[in-house]
Amino acid sequence: MIFNVVNNARFFFEGKTTILLLLSVVFFFAPVEVSAQKKFSKSYPASQNVRLQLLNRSGTVTVEGWDRQEVNISAYLEAPAANVAPQSLSGTIYINLVKDNQGRGDVGSVNFTIRVPYDSKVDIETKVGNLNVSNIRGGFVRAHISSDGDITLTNIVSGNVSAQNGIGNIFFDGEIQSDGNYRFTSMRGDINLRVPSNSAFRLVATAPSTRNINLGSFSGGNMRFGDGRRVVGQFGDGSATLTVTNQRGSIAFIRR
Amino acid sequence: MNCEECQENLSVYLDGELDEALSMSIRTHLTLCMDCAKLCEDFAVILDTCQTEPPSEIIPPNSQALWCRISNSIEGDIKPPVAEQPRSGWRFSFLQVGSAVLGVALISSLLTVVGIRNYFEPSGEDFTSRSAATQTTFEKILSKVGLADTPFEARMRRLKEQESAIVYWDKRVQAQRAKWDNKMRDAFDRNLNEINQTVNEYTMILQQDPDDDLSGEMLDSALNDKMNLLRDFSEL
Repeated sequence: MIFNVVNNARFFFEGKTTILLLLSVVFFFAPVEVSAQKKFSKSYPASQNVRLQLLNRSGTVTVEGWDRQEVNISAYLEAPAANVAPQSLSGTIYINLVKDNQGRGDVGSVNFTIRVPYDSKVDIETKVGNLNVSNIRGGFVRAHISSDGDITLTNIVSGNVSAQNGIGNIFFDGEIQSDGNYRFTSMRGDINLRVPSNSAFRLVATAPSTRNINLGSFSGGNMRFGDGRRVVGQFGDGSATLTVTNQRGSIAFIRR
Repeated sequence: MNCEECQENLSVYLDGELDEALSMSIRTHLTLCMDCAKLCEDFAVILDTCQTEPPSEIIPPNSQALWCRISNSIEGDIKPPVAEQPRSGWRFSFLQVGSAVLGVALISSLLTVVGIRNYFEPSGEDFTSRSAATQTTFEKILSKVGLADTPFEARMRRLKEQESAIVYWDKRVQAQRAKWDNKMRDAFDRNLNEINQTVNEYTMILQQDPDDDLSGEMLDSALNDKMNLLRDFSEL
């Protein structure tokens, strides 16, 4: 009996030692991972209607409108860290990670969070990764992903909006301005557009592969559904142009 | 950036010699303007042809001697002026002259219309999204007499142009691809595969129904997407 108790105690302590050793190994390596991520931060005074032009290689880009006349760029750089060298030239902030890292083979992802004045023009592009833009009411919003990634445009009040990706979803939540031009294009994914019920636009929505076009409360307008692959028509006075193309995915309208 | 500025700088842009700010403006403009994108595509094809195909004619070793031969042969061809023989005069009535002038005016107007039509590149929509059913009578007549492309011929021509551009950008991608990391390679392959499936899908539909306008338009769009994907990744 005593022998058993001693044996159990030895086993218990040996087990504990092993766990402690394992944990120490884990904690030894963990800080290395953390320190591998660098942070970049820079601010620029912004003029009226400043334009942000960003070309990223991979990573998530988040652009938010704020009530300061200042552009604040912060970025987390995964190892091996990319070179980031923004430039401010005649009212435009340029960030081009493709050019800044030309000739470099292995470059880690860069996750940007950029704050810009509400009335900014935003033109962001990435080869791979998600793009998020919110609270912008400038003259122009363009988000383009060359391959994989989701595009989320929230609270956008702009007369010229363009979103295009390869494989991934597109979500737009904003206003359709009269005489505006809105273009959403995806190869595969869901395109969801959340617009006010009093919006007025001419629509060409094409989803030839799935024929999944759901106009929701906007189906009451003068719309022609044809064989289901394309819906063409007009809602309200139709002064804005809305072109939505999803080669192998769905299109849905949601009332805001 | 407007079309004029874009087209002025297009050649330098393709040579990769423009500063980054201007390059990016051009890139943005090309995604929004189909006409300039088409022009860019044409330039790319010309560049590719110049780079890949050897010159078909042998350049003479001595250009001075060549020019000497050319001027000799021109001088040999010039005949001495022949003294004018007095001819019996042609006499036309006012009606005949009027009819002749009217006829010449009509023929030249028709030729001008046809010339202008053939000179200006039709838009992508004209090429791909139109079937024989949507042709106007005038277009049908021009197609029948061989003065204009039929929608099918136009589509085939456009496809050929797109294929050439794709070959050009694909070569550039293959040269860069080894440098990419796995994440980049996987994303590129996945998207290219998706586009290729789409292209095959519409090609099959069009084989069964060549008059399917929408499939023609979608095929055109998918091939443009493929070209853009290759172009975007070729700069990495």
